[in-house]
Amino acid sequence: MAEKKPAGTVLVAGAGISGIKAAIELAESGYKVILTNDSPQIGGILAKLDYQFPTDHCGMCRMLPLVGREYASQYCMRKSLFHENIEIMPFTEITAIQGDAGNYKVDLLKKARCIDPAVCNEMGKCIDVCPVEVEDEFNLGLTKRKAVYQAVPHNTPKMLLIDKQACTRCGECLKVCPTNAINLDAEDEPETREVHAIILASGVKLYNIQEFEDAKSYAVSPDVVTSLAFERMLSGTGTYQGDVIRRPSDGRPAKNIAWIQCMGSRNRRQKREYCSSICCMFALKEAVLAKEKGGPEVDTTIFYMDMRTFGKGFQQYRDKAVNEHGVNLIRCRVQGVMLKPDGNLQMRYIDPDTNEFFLKDYDLVVMSTGQIPFETHKKWADLLNAPLDERGVLATEKSSKVKVADKPGLFLCGSLMGLTDISEAMVSGIAAAGEASKFLATLGVDKMQEEEIPEPPAQSRELPLVSVALCQCGEKPGAEGLDYELLSAELKRHPGVDAVHTITSICKAEGETELAGLLGKTKCNRLLIGACQPFMYRRKLKNEARKAGFNSSMVEIFDLFGIARRGMVESANGDWTLRAARDVKSDIEKLKYKPELKVSTLPINQSALVIGGGIGGMHAALSLADRGVPVHLVEKEAHLGGYLGNQLEHTVDGLAPMAMATAMKLRVFENKNITVHLNSEVEKSVGTLGCFETKLHSQETAENTYLRHGAVILATGGHEGATSEYGYGTSDAVLTQGELKKGLASGDLDLSEVENVVMIQCVGSRQPGGRPYCSRICCLGAIDNALKIKEKNHEARVFILYRDIMTYGFYEQYYSQARSAGIIFMNYSLDDKPEVEFVDGQPVVILTDPVLKEEMELNADLLVLSTGVDPEESNKRLAAAFGVSVAEDGFFAEADSKWRPIEFQKVGLYLAGTAHSPMPLRSVILQAEAAAQKAYTYLSGREVHTAAVTSTVKDALCIRCQRCVNICPYGARSYNEADKRIDIDAAECQACGMCAAECQNNAAEVRGWSDKQLMAVIDAKIMDSTLSSLGDGKSGLRQNV
Amino acid sequence: MAKFAKVSFKKDELNKELSKFFKGMLSNGAVDAVLTPMAQAKKGVRLSLVTSAAHTAQVDPFAPVAAVSGAKIASSLTARPSGRKVAMVLRPCEVRAVVELSKLKQVNLEDTLLIGMDCLGRYENTDFAKFQEQGGTSESFLENAQAGKTATNGFDITGACKICEFPAADKVDMRLCALGAESGAVYIEALTEKGEQALEKSGVKGGGAPAGRDEAVKKLAAARTEARDKKFTDIRAEITNFEALADKLAPCVNCYNCRVACPVCYCKECVFVTDTFRHTGDQFMMWADQSGILKMPNDTMFFHLTRMTHMSLYCVGCGQCTSACPNGVDPMPLFRACADKTQARFNYQPGRSVDEELPLAGFKADELVEVTGQVK
Repeated sequence: MAEKKPAGTVLVAGAGISGIKAAIELAESGYKVILTNDSPQIGGILAKLDYQFPTDHCGMCRMLPLVGREYASQYCMRKSLFHENIEIMPFTEITAIQGDAGNYKVDLLKKARCIDPAVCNEMGKCIDVCPVEVEDEFNLGLTKRKAVYQAVPHNTPKMLLIDKQACTRCGECLKVCPTNAINLDAEDEPETREVHAIILASGVKLYNIQEFEDAKSYAVSPDVVTSLAFERMLSGTGTYQGDVIRRPSDGRPAKNIAWIQCMGSRNRRQKREYCSSICCMFALKEAVLAKEKGGPEVDTTIFYMDMRTFGKGFQQYRDKAVNEHGVNLIRCRVQGVMLKPDGNLQMRYIDPDTNEFFLKDYDLVVMSTGQIPFETHKKWADLLNAPLDERGVLATEKSSKVKVADKPGLFLCGSLMGLTDISEAMVSGIAAAGEASKFLATLGVDKMQEEEIPEPPAQSRELPLVSVALCQCGEKPGAEGLDYELLSAELKRHPGVDAVHTITSICKAEGETELAGLLGKTKCNRLLIGACQPFMYRRKLKNEARKAGFNSSMVEIFDLFGIARRGMVESANGDWTLRAARDVKSDIEKLKYKPELKVSTLPINQSALVIGGGIGGMHAALSLADRGVPVHLVEKEAHLGGYLGNQLEHTVDGLAPMAMATAMKLRVFENKNITVHLNSEVEKSVGTLGCFETKLHSQETAENTYLRHGAVILATGGHEGATSEYGYGTSDAVLTQGELKKGLASGDLDLSEVENVVMIQCVGSRQPGGRPYCSRICCLGAIDNALKIKEKNHEARVFILYRDIMTYGFYEQYYSQARSAGIIFMNYSLDDKPEVEFVDGQPVVILTDPVLKEEMELNADLLVLSTGVDPEESNKRLAAAFGVSVAEDGFFAEADSKWRPIEFQKVGLYLAGTAHSPMPLRSVILQAEAAAQKAYTYLSGREVHTAAVTSTVKDALCIRCQRCVNICPYGARSYNEADKRIDIDAAECQACGMCAAECQNNAAEVRGWSDKQLMAVIDAKIMDSTLSSLGDGKSGLRQNV
Repeated sequence: MAKFAKVSFKKDELNKELSKFFKGMLSNGAVDAVLTPMAQAKKGVRLSLVTSAAHTAQVDPFAPVAAVSGAKIASSLTARPSGRKVAMVLRPCEVRAVVELSKLKQVNLEDTLLIGMDCLGRYENTDFAKFQEQGGTSESFLENAQAGKTATNGFDITGACKICEFPAADKVDMRLCALGAESGAVYIEALTEKGEQALEKSGVKGGGAPAGRDEAVKKLAAARTEARDKKFTDIRAEITNFEALADKLAPCVNCYNCRVACPVCYCKECVFVTDTFRHTGDQFMMWADQSGILKMPNDTMFFHLTRMTHMSLYCVGCGQCTSACPNGVDPMPLFRACADKTQARFNYQPGRSVDEELPLAGFKADELVEVTGQVK
């Protein structure tokens, strides 16, 4: 036998959402992942947020894989993460990194928890007796916790630990611990791991006002809180358990709440010349939530410098917050907060509309605190011996946001790129995983090998005979207070139960042997196992059962200790074992009527179709082709390059799109895995993940080509918007930013005589009747052009008339640079737009002077309009051809704006770049890389397993009313006209059960969740006559009615 | 807009005159077939499918009886269509059920010419036999009913008809109008282009519109709406808890006739006769064990509540459920009173329009948040 190489292993340092996403992506591609985190829990900042805009719900679980669900535990992500290929190491620090590309040695330090999670039964008796109280960092110090504590209130398993710093070693906990899980002398344990690649996802530190001089002027009362603390005040698990928002100082409901933006950010004096990117949306969302929690009478005001609503849907959310919820926005940097004797917080501000000073009292002030990245970057640079760039952060390759410069095998994602919102964190996590996977492919390392255990036949048609195996968790039964004898006797009486066994410790090797022995001689055809944390052991125990000849769908595992604990809460008087028995009986009933669940495999055509031959499309194609995936690249024009690659010489951040496109074209045409189809458009496509067939029409030859492929990437790009405003088209002196850029690059534009250049931003954008969205790149484009004009003619005066300057993140430096270069920025508002008149053919711009509030005129030699970015017209046709949707604004509608930004509701299709929304080039490339990785996850395998639990149609019962087709949120159901029946796409189906609820005679059913099973479960639950609430309270539904 | 043709008739010749209309349509190729109530050889009136112009003499569209719901027949004829054009003469409640069934893909309206008749009510099957024995005819019924006299020797029109606020059919191609017509005349009204063409081809024409019709329809609808609301008040006062409901349903023997008769209960096989409800002996014993006793057959209220859940949004109030019950259960008012609330919640009126979306039949991310408890 050939020697087995170790599987490709990647260390993901940091288990916030981007790290988790990167880990899941790699694990799904078949690689081994070690996921470490400094703090005792995972989930990062997002574990603290209950609500995320635009839905104002949580949606973290949407980052879990959708296909092949059998192999990844589907579980609430805010509680925890479980995946076969991911080893999670919370509370673990990285102390040293040695080695080089493909061969890293990482020294880890596992911090002492002092409580062994394998032994702890999580009852929390230690917490009750612990006398030490310290500030709870999870609620940002708004509440207290003990020295023995649970790091995240909603975590599962609870993973209790002891804060060694706070612990007084009084020993009270040792006395009450029933399982001897506590060791106060536990030491930190060092460990060394070898990995092939490293993804840094640690996030960065957040600005803590107490460490800075600002504290004196702002942090004057406990009622001045950070935006993250405010999030905990809103949370259902937070300080007020989801009740109305109160002031921390005296508990009074907060009726007037103000937000101060840019705390710690955009501050040149303090050497933090960047924007933290996420705070504007964060504040808007919090203000909306405050209104929703406290009612419309709660007054919410955000004091801001620029409201940076640059991302997809951001501007629309702002409009809704202002127009529908009545959130006040005041453009003013407030210089401090005053604490009045009555406890109120007073702020002094200038009303930008009137230039008058106001004094106003607030109950609560929220500081939108941003990031302070340099410390974290310095730490990583030292550990990795990697250079920092001139901004003081880890240098990445020029066009990539995730590849660390000159360090192959080293990647970063998430807020290390600069604070990212959820959507970009997701994209960067996927992209980093993609780059890591490409890197692993060059090393030639293996993927994880799965042990294939053949599935024995199911005896699902025989009369059910159930064997119950209860884990007693240790030598002595009853540690939880559960009376195993009584429970067993009670269960044995239940119809269909043949035997009830107890097993010492099912999670240990002895337990496995015990279980195997038991299964070897049973005559039962179904097996119910009671243990703890079924989500962790389900796969393993099912495999054990399979080896013993049990079909895995005939085996169920339930959370015995969860039941035990619930029983304790419900009744104190001893009969709770019987109540626990009732719960177990309902599990028995569900198992009794369970059908055989089969996992089906879909063959994968291991090739991809990329639509759009711009830089994004080419990048995605190359990313896949470099990993050996054949790609068809379709472009509707006669040449590759797209808008940027053919029109744009350079960008403000130093990229050269045209040169880049030229180089990429060469690589594309040289790559034997890529087939380019120019002058071609998609007319029709049928099929689903793994097997699409697409009809391509060539404009040139008028011929049709039929392509077969396994996945689709839509990278259709966009183009500069058209306008007829401000006299465009009537004078040569009025041009768009794109035209100016071209003129500057070619030198055709003579600037020597030019005295005044006026630029108007947001032409046709962010307004009713126009583009409702911000085009994100125009402010950068205008600044770039303005700087170029200044370079060529230093005497020229450049005015930029703007509404909000959208230089988010490190782009802020170009805004500063522009102001230093003497470019004049003048703010205008939507209800007082500038006007243009022509005098002797020359444009004169009339506007209100933002400082003096008087009308002024600017004679413009050049009037330059930022006309935004429009989506491609072809998006609608493509959406119809592929069965996906286009949003009202004409860009593709992704599955979920936060958690699945580059996916569609339909699996197998991905989107990248401006097809999603307008974005700068580096973001386009990031998305393209991520889209390629999503496609690669499936295309790298020959087949994909569908979930066992999917919906089905009982054809003989189906009347073809097609209500199930309309109700399916995933488009998994369709009516087959030819065969006159309902078809189900098992890969699309997410088993949500909408169809089963809609179908009246159960012709549509989710396997394993049939009405028959569920009614039996309900019957068992209401068996205890005192619990029946129907009718007279003495009888169940079925008795006398 | 609407075009009328007057059909004048001498005493006892209403059907004779009307048959000319159907004969004209069939012989001139306006339609290939007509589904209409027809007098049977000996007695009784049944819907019949006529494909030959020679067999139109027995038509009796205004007969105050509906042995089965015409909507069910319409579904049988068109769900898997013949490709031939059919004119269907249906009561307003049947038309409304047809509209629902077309949305549920159980009726195909493509080759259908819908003809609604003005309905003053119907007698139960057995009562209609008595009515005929006593010499009653459609003509006499129309005349008496217009004067408010529907009750004769010990029987009356059904409870459902008494509280039906839709005496005239909307959303049809043509209408047979009796309401507000002068004595000795009925009118044929064409409401759509399809209807106008058919009317023209039938050869019946002239005579203007019935002057008092709108007024008469409005008046009748108002009187019945008042009766309906009173019925709702009564039934809601009567059925205030599960016991009262159980008492009301006590005579039920789970024969499921009400479900068979219901025009909008459209499942191929009701869930109550599928494996889902084929229980094992163990289960019956378990249920009996709970309180020591189990009424058999069981699941009676379960059945009615389930059916109510399934069809109350589409309930057109035709009363066929009550008519079909062999044991005197009167489900109609229960179902109508419930439907009144569910339909109001979605501002939905079954039969109002083919284009109106069925409630709860499409995926919406934010719907019924007050019920789902979704945090906003």
